[in-house]
Amino acid sequence: MIKKNDVILLGTILLLAAAAIIFINIRKTDGSRVVITIDGEEYKTLDLNKDTTLTIEVAEGAYNTVTVKNGEVDMTEANCPDKLCVKHRKIHYNGETIVCLPHKVVLQIVGGEESEADMIAK
Amino acid sequence: MLLIIIAVNLSGCVKIETKRYEASFLDLFDTITTIVGYAEDKEEFTDHAQMIHDKLMEYHELYDIYNSYDGINNIKTINDNAGVSPVKVDQRIIDLLKFSREAYQLTDGKVNEAFGAVLSVWHQYRTEGLDNPDKAEVPPMEILKEKEKHTDMNNVIINENESTVFLADPDMRLDVGAIAKGYAAERVCEYAMEHGFANGMLSVGGNVRTIGRKLDGGKEVSWSVGIQNPDLESAQTNLYILGLSDYSLVTSGVYERYYTVNGKQYHHIIDPDTLMPAEYFLSVSIVCRDSGMADALSTAVFNMPFEEGLKLIESLENTEALWVFKDETMKSSSGFENYIKK
Repeated sequence: MIKKNDVILLGTILLLAAAAIIFINIRKTDGSRVVITIDGEEYKTLDLNKDTTLTIEVAEGAYNTVTVKNGEVDMTEANCPDKLCVKHRKIHYNGETIVCLPHKVVLQIVGGEESEADMIAK
Repeated sequence: MLLIIIAVNLSGCVKIETKRYEASFLDLFDTITTIVGYAEDKEEFTDHAQMIHDKLMEYHELYDIYNSYDGINNIKTINDNAGVSPVKVDQRIIDLLKFSREAYQLTDGKVNEAFGAVLSVWHQYRTEGLDNPDKAEVPPMEILKEKEKHTDMNNVIINENESTVFLADPDMRLDVGAIAKGYAAERVCEYAMEHGFANGMLSVGGNVRTIGRKLDGGKEVSWSVGIQNPDLESAQTNLYILGLSDYSLVTSGVYERYYTVNGKQYHHIIDPDTLMPAEYFLSVSIVCRDSGMADALSTAVFNMPFEEGLKLIESLENTEALWVFKDETMKSSSGFENYIKK
């Protein structure tokens, strides 16, 4: 006995669940890309095989610059306070991330080469 | 929600292909949280990830020292009422403080939940220094010494019958930053395992807790967890890769949170003896079962000379450590090698 209201409730629950999750990916090994999310919203996906530089205006006066070069992704510039994202090494393994916590910008590799490690303790 | 869970249980009888999923959140413990697990489809995994997220969020709010939440007495509430009145709190706060007390005794005071008065000075100077790098300063020792007078753990009065916590010293502040993430991760992993999350991993800001094993092409193998190279620019991401199953790996390092004053970096792990950032190592990693203990030990051992830390680690069962010295040389405890994945 499924009532219309149950469906609406279930739909709402699923919607809320989707809103709270920042990104989910299934591990694939097809062409590698970097998915850029800002505060959980997917902003852009870049192909790792095409060299490019992208400056993202996160909010007024807040920016991050992403550089794709030779199959790797780097956060080359940002005006966040700690700049930990800029100091982070370049990434290219499937699932690797660079996070700018102050600006809530996440770069995550999808596809491509598998890293030796499933997770890194840091 | 119930409908979905029943459906999953029923289909559990049949052999079904599971896929590996990963979800990340930025709204917990001021860091990135990542969950890895297996499910038949995205919906099933989303349910698990959501469950873990929501549980972690409860702990995040309870253990928060900076923000207040409607209808919740948290650690900030206890701090705000220092010297004023006991605060009625959730049992999970009392459990954390009792755990912290155990860690204090075990580590000879190298982790101290009552150290908040000193840590808040460093927090303030670090935040201001990051916002305004040209004017970054190191906190004056007179201020730190003054604050140190208000770090006596015995003034944290826990009344279990009344479920209250009272800070008897009005200038005292609790800071559970060294243990809360690991402790919460441990509790939430236990909860998740009781609710059908059999094989996976949880990383709260790089504090990794593994659950069960990795399903690798029909075989079950241990999870591969790397230890971050403190040299973030090195092409070698990991110093070692460990094979872990139901174990935790936590690293404390100088590179996690720091600010710069006159070209010198000041990181966030403050030695309770010197009141300054601990100077012994670049990083210390701890392997043991309980993620709360791993978190507490990584901070404590980071704050100790090598010999003292080694003695402590060797005295504990199923607990190993890796030290990275300032010249990037490494030492490890006697059983550490057994965890290295060949």
